[in-house]
Amino acid sequence: MTKEEHQWLTQNAGAAVVVLLHLREAVPHTSNQKRTDRMLKKTLFAAVAALAMTSSASWAQSPAGLNDLEIAHVAYTADLIDIRYAHLALAISKDPKVHEFARTMIRDHEAVNEQALALLAKLKAQPQDNFLSRQLNEDADKLVAEMSKLSGKAFDQRYTENELGYHQAVNALVGEAFIPNIENADVKALFEQAFVIFKAHETQAAATAKAVLQRQSMKQ
Amino acid sequence: MRLSLKLTVVVATLAVTAIAASLVSAGATNDASPRRYVVEIQNFKFRPATLSIRPGDTVTWINRDIAPHTATKESNAWDTGNLIKDQSNEIAFSSPGTTSYFCRYHPNMRGGITVSAK
Repeated sequence: MTKEEHQWLTQNAGAAVVVLLHLREAVPHTSNQKRTDRMLKKTLFAAVAALAMTSSASWAQSPAGLNDLEIAHVAYTADLIDIRYAHLALAISKDPKVHEFARTMIRDHEAVNEQALALLAKLKAQPQDNFLSRQLNEDADKLVAEMSKLSGKAFDQRYTENELGYHQAVNALVGEAFIPNIENADVKALFEQAFVIFKAHETQAAATAKAVLQRQSMKQ
Repeated sequence: MRLSLKLTVVVATLAVTAIAASLVSAGATNDASPRRYVVEIQNFKFRPATLSIRPGDTVTWINRDIAPHTATKESNAWDTGNLIKDQSNEIAFSSPGTTSYFCRYHPNMRGGITVSAK
């Protein structure tokens, strides 16, 4: 890969993540989801790189191109989506560990959003809707519809594995596309603090997903 | 002159003795009094992660993170309760022993306290 290709990919990592989110929804859930995800990521980044070399398509709609208020809107939206998933888990799952995890997601994401709103009030600014927020919401609507039809271990597995994938994707977006491009120092500081939380969630989601799988295989 | 010299030596000795006695007295009082320690919760870590304290000492946990946390003993024998950002709570320790604790919401966050009379 040339330096220019690497630079382009780094700048557009967020756009690649959005495509990845779509692909995760499209690919049927498999029991070997880790291997599927690794294959998806490799395929995705290769495809995005190839497309960039041959296409004259406009990449104006890139997460790296969003301004601070649009980034704030995406973060707020992403928090609300995870809160939504967590409420669904509390309603459908019977697993106490899944409930514990879901309550932590609600507690932490609500705390982040509270800080975000307080900062926006201090800056006398409004978050701006954008293509990425709309895409995240569309994908979330589909996933909620899918998960609402599940129950028992099928739901627990889908929810916890999605939580891992969702946090991995959001963390790539925040770490690679958002934080380096945020201009306002207070907004950047808030995102850096939130990033610590989301990375902790990713670790917790991995542990919870693994524990759910282990409990299910023990019962079989 | 000899009497004057002897008197000077006696007075000086008494003065030094009195000063030394007051210093020893002050030191003994400070050494025995209970102490207060602070553990800051920051970036999903307890800082310091481990503490060595004496029976009668108190530990205060202060949360500096956006996310709420707790400091909870492994057996749930003590618990700071929910601490939102900048909120604190304290626990006094009276019995010797080593205690592991964690955050109920984020179980990967762990700390330890050793209570010893020495």
